[in-house]
Amino acid sequence: MSTASLEAVVDPGKVQGWINAIGSDPSAAVPILQAIQTEYGYLPRKAMNLVVENTQINASQLYGVATFYAQFRLKPIGRHLIRVCHGTACHVQGADRLNTSLRHAMEIEDPKQDTASNGSYTLENVACIGCCSLAPVMVIDGQAYPSLKGADAQRELLKHAREHNEILAGHDAQE
Amino acid sequence: MSNAQWVITVGEGTCGIAAGAPEVTELLRKRFPEAEFKSVGCVGMCHREVMVEIADGEGKTYMWGNLNKKNLPKVIRFHRGEAALPKELLIRSSEHPEVEGGEYLTRQTRIALRNVGQLNPTSMAQYKARGGYAAIEKIIKNGMTPEDVIEEVKISKIRGRGGAGFPTATKWGFARGAPGDLKYLVCNGDEGDPGAFMDRSLLEGDPHSVLEGMLVAAYAIGASKGYAYIRAEYPLALKYFGMALEDARQAGYLGHNILGSHFDFDVKIKEGAGAFVCGEETALLASIEGDRGMPRLRPPFPAIKGLFGKPTIINNVETLANLPWIINNGGASYAAIGTEKSTGTKVFALAGAIARGGLVEVPMGVTIRHVLEKIGGGSATKRPLKAVQMGGPSGGCIPEHMFDTLIEYESINATGAIMGSGGMIVVDSKTCMVDLAKYFLQFTQNESCGKCTFCRIGTLRMKEILTRICDGEATLEEVDTLEEVARTVRTATLCGLGQTVANPVLTTLKYFRHEYIAHVQEKRCPSGVCKALIHHTIQNDKCSGCSICQRYCPVKAITGTVKQPDTWVIDQQVCINCGMCAEVCNPDAILAA
Ligand SMILES: Cc1cc2nc3c(=O)[nH]c(=O)nc-3n(C[C@H](O)[C@H](O)[C@H](O)COP(=O)(O)O)c2cc1C
Ligand code: FES
Repeated sequence: MSTASLEAVVDPGKVQGWINAIGSDPSAAVPILQAIQTEYGYLPRKAMNLVVENTQINASQLYGVATFYAQFRLKPIGRHLIRVCHGTACHVQGADRLNTSLRHAMEIEDPKQDTASNGSYTLENVACIGCCSLAPVMVIDGQAYPSLKGADAQRELLKHAREHNEILAGHDAQE
Repeated sequence: MSNAQWVITVGEGTCGIAAGAPEVTELLRKRFPEAEFKSVGCVGMCHREVMVEIADGEGKTYMWGNLNKKNLPKVIRFHRGEAALPKELLIRSSEHPEVEGGEYLTRQTRIALRNVGQLNPTSMAQYKARGGYAAIEKIIKNGMTPEDVIEEVKISKIRGRGGAGFPTATKWGFARGAPGDLKYLVCNGDEGDPGAFMDRSLLEGDPHSVLEGMLVAAYAIGASKGYAYIRAEYPLALKYFGMALEDARQAGYLGHNILGSHFDFDVKIKEGAGAFVCGEETALLASIEGDRGMPRLRPPFPAIKGLFGKPTIINNVETLANLPWIINNGGASYAAIGTEKSTGTKVFALAGAIARGGLVEVPMGVTIRHVLEKIGGGSATKRPLKAVQMGGPSGGCIPEHMFDTLIEYESINATGAIMGSGGMIVVDSKTCMVDLAKYFLQFTQNESCGKCTFCRIGTLRMKEILTRICDGEATLEEVDTLEEVARTVRTATLCGLGQTVANPVLTTLKYFRHEYIAHVQEKRCPSGVCKALIHHTIQNDKCSGCSICQRYCPVKAITGTVKQPDTWVIDQQVCINCGMCAEVCNPDAILAA
């Protein structure tokens, strides 16, 4: 499966629903984008256009906001999301090794790429999830994995993949 | 087991859940179906998670720590009288005074954290049972005027806990005096310091205290609308704070004519979207207004012209959580704690190479060493501690020989670090201070909003030079340039981010210049961290030939024959120095130097 097929199908009714619930003045920009991303995992262009058409938020404000905040993604993500903490506590305790080992399991070599080519997992770095005493930490689909070594991260990912019928390119044999 | 009702209390804050509390609870529920289960927030002993207290209903209590699926059966069998006491898991117990794992807590003075870990954060009744909402009731029923409230807070001499340490009562005075019918109170729960979690624990462990603090502050300045800006990375805090708002509205603590008075106040939650600079107050306001979170020039100060152009006070979560205590106990009791200029207590989040990481609240005026050694238990590794980073990316490092520095605003500032919001990252000899400075500059360069040139370009230049130093490519002149850029950025930038961004560079240069010199002159990273300057090699005399390193090497650089220690080698042409092998090697046979 290619990443192109990860593009979301946007339901205009839903977008209008969020606008109705949140508001359509400029201060609604961030929460509306958050609602869109919660649903689709990223900000599909079509949804952004609908917001511009149906609110007082203009395109430059909306895109300005979408590109300013680290939370927002303009590209689709894989079926599962891995967030590796790179806060200070996690950094000094070896968070980089988590990325090395996860990227290897996902067979991603290009440092600019963050989604496995089969669309299974997306790897994202975050700035601290607040359990610094259990560093280093990663989160897969909302579930945290504490006190990891580089090798543990890979093992947990392989286990997760097995349980969710995903294939990891770097580990075709799923050893 | 007798018929008395057993009560099993599980710590289910973010860290408890991450450490596996749901699994442990599930197992306990199966084994003790009749027991009553209680969920509490994070008590702050993060190093002992998962934590469970089992009370047998007849006065016997046992607090267990470090529980997991594997060791839990030992505890269960003990409670059934089938096995001996698993002492290594016991933190404290009414039956075993000789086990005193609770000293981590008993050595603290908890005011802001008074309820965290003691109650179910989703239960307003439990908050009230512990004296909750007494402060706002006292204010309204005793007819205290806003000026009376400001006066009480002035007597307490509390200073803002968000980092800058500005006297809270003074700031409120400006907003109180500012003309205008509509004023705002904003709770700053952005907690941008990566590596700190004081505000998370408060918001998710005792949301009503923060909310009551907002009520006190709003009453004092005359605000009728409030916002709680909470970062999106804290889903539990967002959820529990939202529930607290609902319950408080139901009970009449929010809305119109609160407790029958003329005081109206309500609060909306704004979820942060992941920008460090949004912790800065003017950027935070821009973010609430729906814009890119870019700071504005002050003055005008938000107290005069803030959110949507109206007078606005921004207070940190911890500042707010202290307020109900101050109103209930009087400002003088608060001022009696701590030192002359830094009164009360401060919460710290201990993490890094520390034996007992977690939340610590101590009176101002104790030493850093007291916190790290007496409470934190010293180094978690066999290696000695090297420094502590206080204040995150805006702060600085304090070397071990200065651990006797007192924890109070002026003394900490004198070291070049700052009190900050309470993050304390402890590092040992395996952390490279140049790499740490580079880490912070990477972070802040990325987070700089780009509005002012000195911050935008200055952080980039500093990051570039630090990268060259870590790669062994820099000259000594560049170290001087780094220092010069750092000093310039500090004085020529618009907001607090730019003004403090150089602190990690300046303090590491001040206290660990020798590490910089080693990178530049000897092309050596003394801590064995900077990849361009180290090689991983196997010390065959220590090797056991187990082959685990080979299995985990991502680039297949390691070869050898199982059980033949002498045969193992790392191919330097292939090795990427990721360090994964050293991390898994049991006999510690892999050298990074
Ligand atoms: C770059 C930057 C980041 C900040 N981050 C935070 C933060 O995460 N939380 C916070 O309460 N204050 C933060 N502050 C301080 C706020 O600007 C403000 O001083 C504080 O919220 C005021 O509350 P207090 O008086 O109760 O401390 C930050 C300041 C700067 C310059
Ligand atoms: S630094 Fe990673 S959880 Fe805080």
